[in-house]
Amino acid sequence: MIRFISWLVLCIAASIATPCSADPLLIKQHCSKCHTGPEPKGDFSFHDLRRSADAENVDLWVSSLERVEAGEMPPAKHNRMTAEEKAALNAFLRKQITRYEQQSQRPNQSPPRRLNNREFENSLRDALLIEHVGTHDPLANLLGDTLHDGFDTHGETLGMSEFHLDQYITAVRRVLDNVIFSGNRPTPNRYHNGPKRLQAVDTSNRARADRTSRSDDGVEIHGTRQRIYCKNFVNAPHSGNYRITVRAKTLDRHVYSQDQTGIHDEDPLTLRMHLGNRNIDFNLQEGDLQEFKSDVWLAEGTPLEFSHHTDGLRMIGNGNFKFQYRIAHDYLKEADPQLYQRVVTEEVPKAATRRDKPSHWVHWVPYWQGPRPLIASVTIEGPLYDSWPPQRHVALLGADPDVKDAAKLLAPIAERAWRRGVTEAELAPIVALVQSQQQSLGDVGALKEGIVAVLASPSFLMLHPEQSDRHDRFATKLSYLLGSTTPDRTLIDKTRNGRLDSFDAVLEELQRRIETRQADEFLREFPYAWLQLDRINFMAPDVDRYPLYEKKAISEDMVREVLTFFRHAVDHNRPLPELLTADYSFVNADLAKVYELENVPSDSVHRKYVFDDGRRGGFLGMGAFLTLTADTLNTSPIHRAIYVMENFMGIHPAPPPADVEIKEPDIRSATTIREVLQAHQSDATCAACHQNIDPFGYAFENFDPIGAWRDEYIDVSGPADPSGPSGKRNQSFSTIPIDASATFLSGAEYQDITEFRELMNSDVNQKRFVRCFVTKLLTYANGIEPENFTEIEAIVRQSADHDYRIVDTIAAVVDSPLFRETNARGSD
Amino acid sequence: MFDRRSILQAFGGTLTLPMLESTASAASPASATTPTRLLIVANPFGAHPEHFFPAEFGTDFHFPKTLSSLEWLRDRISILSHTDHNMKSGHGREIAFLSGVLPETSAAFPEKNMSIDQIVARHTGTHTRFASVNACLERSIRLSWNANGVDIKPFTGAQRMYDHLFLNLTAQQRQQRRQLLQQNRSILDAVREQFSGVRKRASKNDQARLDLYANSLRDLEQNLVDRQQWVDRDKPKFDLSGYFTGSDITIDNRYNAVFDMVAYAFQTDLTRVATIGFSPELSYTDVMGVTRGYHACTHNGKKEDTVAELVAIESFQIAQLSRCLKKLDEIPEPRADGSMLDHTVVLFGSGMGYGGTHSNRNLPVLVAGGGFNHCGHVDTRDAGGDNMPLCNLFLTLLRRFGLEYDQFNQSSGSFDFATGKA
Repeated sequence: MIRFISWLVLCIAASIATPCSADPLLIKQHCSKCHTGPEPKGDFSFHDLRRSADAENVDLWVSSLERVEAGEMPPAKHNRMTAEEKAALNAFLRKQITRYEQQSQRPNQSPPRRLNNREFENSLRDALLIEHVGTHDPLANLLGDTLHDGFDTHGETLGMSEFHLDQYITAVRRVLDNVIFSGNRPTPNRYHNGPKRLQAVDTSNRARADRTSRSDDGVEIHGTRQRIYCKNFVNAPHSGNYRITVRAKTLDRHVYSQDQTGIHDEDPLTLRMHLGNRNIDFNLQEGDLQEFKSDVWLAEGTPLEFSHHTDGLRMIGNGNFKFQYRIAHDYLKEADPQLYQRVVTEEVPKAATRRDKPSHWVHWVPYWQGPRPLIASVTIEGPLYDSWPPQRHVALLGADPDVKDAAKLLAPIAERAWRRGVTEAELAPIVALVQSQQQSLGDVGALKEGIVAVLASPSFLMLHPEQSDRHDRFATKLSYLLGSTTPDRTLIDKTRNGRLDSFDAVLEELQRRIETRQADEFLREFPYAWLQLDRINFMAPDVDRYPLYEKKAISEDMVREVLTFFRHAVDHNRPLPELLTADYSFVNADLAKVYELENVPSDSVHRKYVFDDGRRGGFLGMGAFLTLTADTLNTSPIHRAIYVMENFMGIHPAPPPADVEIKEPDIRSATTIREVLQAHQSDATCAACHQNIDPFGYAFENFDPIGAWRDEYIDVSGPADPSGPSGKRNQSFSTIPIDASATFLSGAEYQDITEFRELMNSDVNQKRFVRCFVTKLLTYANGIEPENFTEIEAIVRQSADHDYRIVDTIAAVVDSPLFRETNARGSD
Repeated sequence: MFDRRSILQAFGGTLTLPMLESTASAASPASATTPTRLLIVANPFGAHPEHFFPAEFGTDFHFPKTLSSLEWLRDRISILSHTDHNMKSGHGREIAFLSGVLPETSAAFPEKNMSIDQIVARHTGTHTRFASVNACLERSIRLSWNANGVDIKPFTGAQRMYDHLFLNLTAQQRQQRRQLLQQNRSILDAVREQFSGVRKRASKNDQARLDLYANSLRDLEQNLVDRQQWVDRDKPKFDLSGYFTGSDITIDNRYNAVFDMVAYAFQTDLTRVATIGFSPELSYTDVMGVTRGYHACTHNGKKEDTVAELVAIESFQIAQLSRCLKKLDEIPEPRADGSMLDHTVVLFGSGMGYGGTHSNRNLPVLVAGGGFNHCGHVDTRDAGGDNMPLCNLFLTLLRRFGLEYDQFNQSSGSFDFATGKA
């Protein structure tokens, strides 16, 4: 008996230790009913797995594992697998994948790619030791970068053509014109502009008459499209430092109500100084004149202009400023009936047009008391130099360079630009170029040609074009990940000395760079790309039905919500899953209107807001996500589901088969989107995939196309917005209650968004979200999607050991072989 | 040959056969194929709908008043009803005509609000002296935008346009251009040599991406050689004087000059892309029957005489286009069947539907030439009754130039000339 029992134990132990023989049977037993035959469900036949994972089918193995692990396969209603069987199947799939990945020799280095435009600009700036490429917009001629799933770092998508190269050379020359100087030192001047010398132009390019609103006190900026320029300083006459002194204040800050002007009471008025492609904002108070002094380097030809920067003053009519003058009518009617009567009885009848319509804007222009800046004077002194040639020139070439020193002068520039050590032999062709040009262009001119060549080289224009030192490569990758620029000296020294070889060291470096704001570019660009915020106005909400969205530029507030929230998570090293389902977010007064929140201060600053209704907070409640996944008038649970799956869950559902006829929802009939999508349940071809997809989307049906909460669908044949055209207001509209419930294949079900959010917090979904984050981060960092499941799992495990904290997870990614481009964990 | 010459006489009195610019340059292999050109003519206020859109759909329609001068093109024209860019009403949105994207939302698009003429010009421009020519007398209506969302200033006068297209550079200007081209060539030489070292140190897997750079370098070197040839070579000759002698200078003969210069630039392959705009500032009172300004005519309050003036202005614009198309149709395409018009994609339209109502829906749009299978007057609305995004048409036009976009800005599909639908 005892022998029999120990035999049994041995048997069980053996079957656990070597499940390989048993588990193909498990697959057959539990999966084959649906996943076999000529039309297998979900277009997946288990025969495709063959005997083991190989290069062609490893993706299927990985997705099988993910589905089984999540409990979605086999589907709950058909599932007869025991917990032990499930564990065994899991282990089997995992082992197969690991075995394949250990055997296969895939290249672990990111392939070379072109710098995108951001990186080009930053790298140019840092290689040339300047703080800005130039206010003369020297890169304006570059082609836009094509994005891949929102990422502008994707190597295959970043093409390179003759046109690119031509434009790069042109751009580099323009930048250098503002860095390297020959000729005599220009003499400085003082340009004073009082009211008479300040002039308004309309950027809409329409007004030809002088519309400057001028008094002895100064010049007022009425419309938001107006620009004020200085008659005696239209453009900077020479490149150089200028001291600009502006005296300005606000007029009539609070005469009209904020609801009418769209300018929040608590916001300062912003006077924006445009210096070519750079802006400096001055916050204006009411009362006495304020003086603002700025010391700025302006490139030759830089235009200097001022405008009133606001997203307000667009609330009436189609948003054109002139319609806002009607506020003056409405205001005077209440506040000064006497004056009002006088205008209506004396002025309106004498007007050239619209005599029959006293409320027309055209009669109220002289009575405008909207918040507006007044500029009393602008004084410019310059160009001022600390030396001649200027310091920036000296820093690159020295005061009096000689082509004989070309190699010595160009080497440090090339090392910064090429992100590695540079040999003399390698520079020889460029040095030869410099020497050959000396006769016709002189020493400085010839050296400038040498710098152009350094910056037109593939070693600059492409990342990782060649096998370079492992440390330099790591420094380059980390620098482009965090700052999208060429690595600085400290970083290079640290990596060369092996001081960033461990996880702890990487974590510390990350934290240091985040704190010292050297990772701002990453904190802005990565979440923007990950959430594909570039698409937010691709199908912008209908302008007539959602007027606020367009009139107050709500999309900008929504984007800022995402970026502020992400930055907060990094600054406080919050656990990653909180990004998805936190009970808080960052809102300002405009978003508070969309989200219907109370007690939010009347200004445009994004502040932390805790939601107590379980509906909002985190990415899942953000207007940005809800808007960019909606059409202009309708929401689509499918679009939202696909977005959630691809960007948050890391699941990539297959597109519908080509022969499927997709029925467009007809918004005119009183069918709900759910009724249209019933086909997904009744038609077996659709159901196989959509049973899996749709539950990720229905939960959001309570959010309309701009992400506002709704309890009912409103038939769009009538306007939803009571401020819409008054003639249509009486139109009847019908309402249909919203059903935002669904059941996942795993059997998990939810009634509404609050329950859905709880489901998203399950262990399985948290892990999926973290894995998705890791994958997206590696895509951004490497310029190519990572394929190594085992290594990604290892990163996720390490992240889990650190409570999924975000900075720790980023450190785990940077420390992983997938980023370091080493062969395996722990080895070199 | 005799026939061709006599036709050419019509072009500003040129007596010699025009030489094709690009074919003269032996170094452009691409120009051996027949070029496709793009001509876009636009206005900022749309069109009075009843006089622009025919009453009937299909090919057997009556030409409405505004389009009457195009009747000779009956089977070779497509008039698209019910397209738009999903813009709300009001002025200022017509500047999105050629992209469907306004400057303020352009950040959402990889090529910003780049207009289709500039997208095509980027493609065809490497073969010709000028990538594109843009004209709009008096003031720009902001039709053309580059990839960075900057609008391209058109020529606002015929003389400046002539100087640019046909006046040869001074010896000093040529010298400066030659010098810069030479400097850039030297830079490419140095870079090529340095690059060979990079290539040696690259891994096998990486060579493909590096080839992208290598090809760019080689193509640019060749292109600089071509450009140098253009600097040295004289431009084709065009006589502008005939247009402005004798009587008054009217918008009629000014636009004749502009359109003829464009036709001649196409003929001599100076460029393959042109846009011509009609701004509100023109003195349309030169046109028979017009007494008011263009903008004033659009706000006609449905008064018959004012509507008639507006229709006269719009008919004038179409007549100018028609005259130009006739010229292009009389020139046989060198090295290919058909006329030059058959190889020129012609688009007329506006980013505004109708100024009278400030509507930006139902844009007036017509397409001619280009070798399309034209469909007459079509209702482009889908089964649900929604207007077709005009970008659907643009997608089709771009593909005509071999530009394989999957999607173009707001497009939801591609317009099919065979069915008149997307």
